[in-house]
Amino acid sequence: MTRALPDRSLGPEWAILELLTRGIVDDTEQQMIRDLLLTDTLNWGEVLEQSLRHKMLPMLAHQIISAGLRFDVPTSIYMHLESALEWNRCQIEVFRRETVRVAQGLASCGIHFVVTKGIAFESTLYGGLGTRYMNDIDFMIAPRDRETVMSAMQGLGFRPFFEWAKDPRREEISSRLNPDHLPKLAREIDQPGARTVQVDVANSLTWTKSPFAVPVEEALEDRVEQPVPGMPGVSISCFRPIYQFIFTVLHLFREAWLQKFVDFGTDVGLMKFGDVIRLIERNHDELADGALMQIMEAHNVTHPVAWVLRHLDETFHTHTLELLTLEKDGDEGLLRSQMQSSAYVRASGQSMRARLQSKNRGSVRPATPAHSGS
Amino acid sequence: MDDISAQFEQCLRRHLRLAKPDSINYDMELAQLGLDSMTAVAVLLDMEKTFGIKFPDDMLVEGTFRTAGRLKEAVQILRERKAS
Repeated sequence: MTRALPDRSLGPEWAILELLTRGIVDDTEQQMIRDLLLTDTLNWGEVLEQSLRHKMLPMLAHQIISAGLRFDVPTSIYMHLESALEWNRCQIEVFRRETVRVAQGLASCGIHFVVTKGIAFESTLYGGLGTRYMNDIDFMIAPRDRETVMSAMQGLGFRPFFEWAKDPRREEISSRLNPDHLPKLAREIDQPGARTVQVDVANSLTWTKSPFAVPVEEALEDRVEQPVPGMPGVSISCFRPIYQFIFTVLHLFREAWLQKFVDFGTDVGLMKFGDVIRLIERNHDELADGALMQIMEAHNVTHPVAWVLRHLDETFHTHTLELLTLEKDGDEGLLRSQMQSSAYVRASGQSMRARLQSKNRGSVRPATPAHSGS
Repeated sequence: MDDISAQFEQCLRRHLRLAKPDSINYDMELAQLGLDSMTAVAVLLDMEKTFGIKFPDDMLVEGTFRTAGRLKEAVQILRERKAS
């Protein structure tokens, strides 16, 4: 199914990022991004700022370098992009080695776990090119293993990250109140350019007090082994694509729906949508064969998933709702009643596209209501 | 021990956007007064600073701050522990 090219109504700078988010899949898209990058009036400051905001600088760098645009991009910018890509590749190497070390440590304790998000995606969805930005390593475990894993991680040299935080007590309280994760963990490493490596261990596919739940134990029963680039014969456990998809989309839903992520400055960005697009493209046969639908219906997560895919299709001209036959799902009114918490989407009324481009999303928070309780 | 009501309520009002300025209903769920996961952290931190206490791990659970009454009770227990 062909995808319409991004329109240029938000400027060539934004169209470049939208193309990179979707992934360049054919000659037409390759030509379009080349033309956009060669636009005379291209605002490089805007391209770089938005790439940073959406964690896509290494991807932009790779596109420019692999397209042979060395002498078409301002030299100082090209050199910084080269450095950014190289640094990201070094970081990923560190993360791969540490992932394997932790995975072997957990396996030796008999823990069932998977590696999720960035480190799982970069070698598959992003081809192991070192272009997927990440700042930590994500694992998923069953809630019953929290204490064993905490102890194993301490044995591997990790300490709660809040010890390094600006306000350690705030971080500590926050982690205790959100038992969907272990406290964020970090280990000091002797690596130029990286002081610590951080590991995030989740024990829920959703979040604390979520109205949606998919049992982690069920998802962990269905693991696949994934090779680690550059480490022959070594593999890591990951969710099979169906659970990877559910987890990734629900994660995006949470970040897109809840006001608090806007307040934190960590709400949804282009890269997360790019993950979903690539997951579907790479695994569309498995995702469309009916098993996914059965699991989503069994756990009542069809609406949040469809809500995300609707925004994805509207923003990136994809056809994911149709592919997964979810066109009739994703009712926002129903989701509002299920979520019952402060929702950014209700307050903003923006399209997802405008929201993603906006640099000031926090400004649309509804005014504090008049005193109405107690 | 001193009556902490005024300081306690002032502390709640700093964070709960739906709390009335004149009185706090001690039986109402704090979620109905605007408490969410972010403000819960802020309220607990503020209570610790205001009253010179520290919530132990076993008190860092939702039950501790489900209502203003429960939270005030927890603060009083910790103040008494500290005093003794």
